[in-house]
Amino acid sequence: MKKLLLALGVSVMAMAAQADPVKLVIWGLDGDNGLIPKLAKEFDDKNDDITVEFRAVAFDDLVNETLKAVATGNAPDMISLDNPDFAMFSSHGAMLDITDRVAKSQVIKPDSYYKGPWNSVMWDGKVYGVPKATNTIALFYNKDLFKKAGIANPPATWGELLDDARKLNDPANKVYGLTWSARANEEGTFQFLPWIQMSGGSFQKVNGEGAVKALDLWKTIIDEKLASQDVLSQGQWDSTGTFNAGNAAMAISGPWELNRMATDAKFDWGVTLLPTETAGGARSSAMGDFDWGIFATTKHPDEAFRMLEYFVSQSDRLFPEFSNIPARSDIALPSTGDARKDEALKVFQEQLKYAQPRGPHPQWAKISKAIYDAMQQALTGQTTAQQALDQAQATIDGILKG
Amino acid sequence: MRIFRSLTDGIGFDLVLVGAAMAFLLAMAGLPLVYNVLMSFQQVDMFTLGSLVRPWAGLDNYRAVIAQPEFWLVMKNTGLFVVGSIAGQFTLGFALALFFHQKFPGSATIRGLFLVSWVMPGLVVGGIWSFILAGDYGVLNALLQGAGVIHAPVFWKSDPNLSIWAVIIANIWLGLAFNMLLLSVGLAAIPRDIYEAAELDGATAWARFRTITLPMMRSTIGAVLSLGLIGTLQQFDLFPAITEGGPANTSNVSQYWAWQMSFKLYDFARGATISVMMLVLVLVAAVVYVRSTRSEVRG
Repeated sequence: MKKLLLALGVSVMAMAAQADPVKLVIWGLDGDNGLIPKLAKEFDDKNDDITVEFRAVAFDDLVNETLKAVATGNAPDMISLDNPDFAMFSSHGAMLDITDRVAKSQVIKPDSYYKGPWNSVMWDGKVYGVPKATNTIALFYNKDLFKKAGIANPPATWGELLDDARKLNDPANKVYGLTWSARANEEGTFQFLPWIQMSGGSFQKVNGEGAVKALDLWKTIIDEKLASQDVLSQGQWDSTGTFNAGNAAMAISGPWELNRMATDAKFDWGVTLLPTETAGGARSSAMGDFDWGIFATTKHPDEAFRMLEYFVSQSDRLFPEFSNIPARSDIALPSTGDARKDEALKVFQEQLKYAQPRGPHPQWAKISKAIYDAMQQALTGQTTAQQALDQAQATIDGILKG
Repeated sequence: MRIFRSLTDGIGFDLVLVGAAMAFLLAMAGLPLVYNVLMSFQQVDMFTLGSLVRPWAGLDNYRAVIAQPEFWLVMKNTGLFVVGSIAGQFTLGFALALFFHQKFPGSATIRGLFLVSWVMPGLVVGGIWSFILAGDYGVLNALLQGAGVIHAPVFWKSDPNLSIWAVIIANIWLGLAFNMLLLSVGLAAIPRDIYEAAELDGATAWARFRTITLPMMRSTIGAVLSLGLIGTLQQFDLFPAITEGGPANTSNVSQYWAWQMSFKLYDFARGATISVMMLVLVLVAAVVYVRSTRSEVRG
């Protein structure tokens, strides 16, 4: 009888232990081809001691919802945030410092990541997250129109870009030489900052000689009507739409365009690296996509880190299943079955080596506004490029000091 | 017992009614307002966002907002947007109201159809106008070019001299029906026989409009204009949908700027500061309006 009771007691205890799994809450972008909910559910199914709850948040609400949650002490355990927003949280101590865990990890190897994405999760020499995926921008060009204009190779320098745009521009047939996005929001900075960086500048130093030259080049392209003036209000997606329709001979955008371009564009196209200031000059590009982070307030840092490791371990599935480009240089992308897309992806992977994060800085949004405001002021002829960038520099200096 | 009776009948009951109304007003409008004003005098960051007690900033936020390079541009745009929108909505609304007042067959039905613009959400209207006003492939440019008015496309959304007008045009269209409706009601309330008497005395149509319609409509016009002021200062949806305040803030107005500060640049204190500044402006306008109607009653 005693034995029986003992056995019963042991089994009750075992049941209690089993019935009390750790609950992890993860927030992320809705859409995204279902990446987070799918991986989170797999992790949940594979681990009896953990359940995972996913909450989808719209892109425009993600930072504000997270700010509210952190302020009221209701932050989730884990999140994926757009990389320029990440430093706002890591620098304020909202994210868990995972430097030591990463150093011990068998799965997460910082060396395997491209420099740009990895820098976006760093703050003050410590690691606060892991890049989820990455992307960048390069120059798409219409090979048919290039042939027609008698241009053998895509432009490699800023000067060639302007020359080619002049040759390709054909108002009679409604073809602009070039299209991109110089919009009054983060997209505008995303597209312009690489040009500042190529000429030796950075987000801390935007009014150098090269930056002024780049902005003057953009202005020349708009003034000579080599691009639609609506590049000032169009986003990258709409802008590249005009390229796909054959109304622009070149477009600056990213790999997210590839699927649509493969079906929409009724001409031969290719991708080349962003032109540099001078032949063989310094390269740079923008860097997009999200970072994983664990909140400092989590009650289950060990389990959350296990989940992070699981996500990272599935990196080779990012591209084939979710059309996301891994932020790691050690993962070869499998063929898409479309030679042009494969070729383009190779160029984007090469361009990624030069991609630089926006920031990282806790007040990135304000720095970004100073940059796109200056860009638009010069492009609309309200001030010279030098004056506009000087004003942006003064604003940025104020932010960096404060 | 007496207290209880007075609660159901008498002064106690009145007090309960007044108290309920005041409590509701305080909770729904007063507290957020006070919170907003308080926030404009404080330093706010991520971790103090949810609390009431925060480091005091004095007038720092106000100084910082005024020192922003775009401050005066935004103020100018706000004034232009309010005056332009109200002028357009009111003039066209009045013209339409007078037109439909002629009572031709089907006039009531067609007037009803005009309300479609008022029923549509601002974001949808903004999206539609964004298409219409597009530079290279916009409907408006195609029409104007077809009619030979312009020869090259006009970049409504991207030209710094026109961008605020792009939003004003959309806002006029959006508010037109509401103005027309209120003014129609005012017109219908004027007794017919006054017009008949004036006509017998030989007054022309213009004289009748000037000496009968306008004076009789005075309170309606006052109400329409003040509602128009509130409506345009609240108009937000059109901005993100059409210009996002660009290019280079040339179509940015205070209400959009306040939102940008708080929810795009995450500077909640300065966002609150801008909205408090706007509140003061609206209060001044409201006082002027109330004074003007008061003198009308006395006179």
